[in-house]
Amino acid sequence: MELYIYGIIDSSGRMVESIRGLEGADVYNIPYCDIGVVVSKFTKSPTQNTTKDCVLAHEEVIERLMEYFTVLPVRFHTVFDGRDGVVSLMQSYYKDFRDNLDRLRNKVEFGIKVIWPSDKMKEHIINTYKKNNKKVSVPGDSSNKRFMRDKFEKHKLDEDFQKKADKFINVMDMFFSKFVAEKKLNRLRTENLLLDAVYLVEKDKQANFKEAFEHIKSAHQGFKFLLSGPWPAYNFVTLPKKSDSLKDSGQEDLFDKVIQHRDLVGADKI
Amino acid sequence: MTLNGVVETDFPEEFIEEMEKTDDALPKKINANPENVEKGLAKLVLTLIELIRKLLEKQAMRRVEAGSLSDEQIENVGETLMKLENKMEELQQIFGLKDEELNLNLGPLGDLM
Repeated sequence: MELYIYGIIDSSGRMVESIRGLEGADVYNIPYCDIGVVVSKFTKSPTQNTTKDCVLAHEEVIERLMEYFTVLPVRFHTVFDGRDGVVSLMQSYYKDFRDNLDRLRNKVEFGIKVIWPSDKMKEHIINTYKKNNKKVSVPGDSSNKRFMRDKFEKHKLDEDFQKKADKFINVMDMFFSKFVAEKKLNRLRTENLLLDAVYLVEKDKQANFKEAFEHIKSAHQGFKFLLSGPWPAYNFVTLPKKSDSLKDSGQEDLFDKVIQHRDLVGADKI
Repeated sequence: MTLNGVVETDFPEEFIEEMEKTDDALPKKINANPENVEKGLAKLVLTLIELIRKLLEKQAMRRVEAGSLSDEQIENVGETLMKLENKMEELQQIFGLKDEELNLNLGPLGDLM
């Protein structure tokens, strides 16, 4: 019998309340020492079951669990071949799971994305250059030197563009960082996408974090902001080693940072 | 069914567009089949050449900025870089590859282009 895994929790006890998971199956906890793996019985093959409803069902189970436990959310469609496989997983990973559960206790994940007016920024940099009448240090008028001069101008423009981006990101991040335990920042994933970040926030600091977001948003006219969350801490679960049981089961990416299911419901797209 | 997590933005379309651009730049799978294997290989090789070309160009710009290149050296470097760039454009045309297709994720350094 296959078992569908939703997450690892910091309890070896029974479910506090009845939760229905995928295919309407009962969700229950398989204990291992002082932690547990939350699963439900599963009959369909994963490929048959990738629908929006399943994705939402998976997410809902995790969020219900989060009301009572610290949860390491497992990647959507993680299916193990029976209880033995799950126990073997716990044997290999117990300490890592325990460490992660301790680290992520009472914390949730927020995503922040920022689009900046990159064209205007470039225009501003060019105008500043013209205003300051900065000379480019490639004299001469041969085609090779003209080529080098153009390249050098572009190089300086790119450099200033990056510096400007860093300046904005540092200011924003400084505000958010006051209320976060951990963070992962991606700068300029595209020319327009100035910041694509995930922050791990303590539950009792959520309001402060959102306030900081609103403050930054109102202070940056012309920028576009997106705040998402609170989510389970998908991006902050770290596993240092890969277990053979995971390799055998084909589930090497137990905690997928791409967050497939959020992607499917559309949330991760934005 | 309601999720606790919410997405707040006044500009969902713009964010979807930008995220799609990042997906395009970093395909999760290599699309290799007998029909396009030549193009796939060319893409891989040209991406690596482009990486080296960009590094050369960056180094040259640093030296121009530092003023450590003589007039003659600037002339020579300019000629080399220009020829390299032209050759790359030519090869991209032959294999039908666009600039944005020649990309690499350089880990903490970000994307090549």
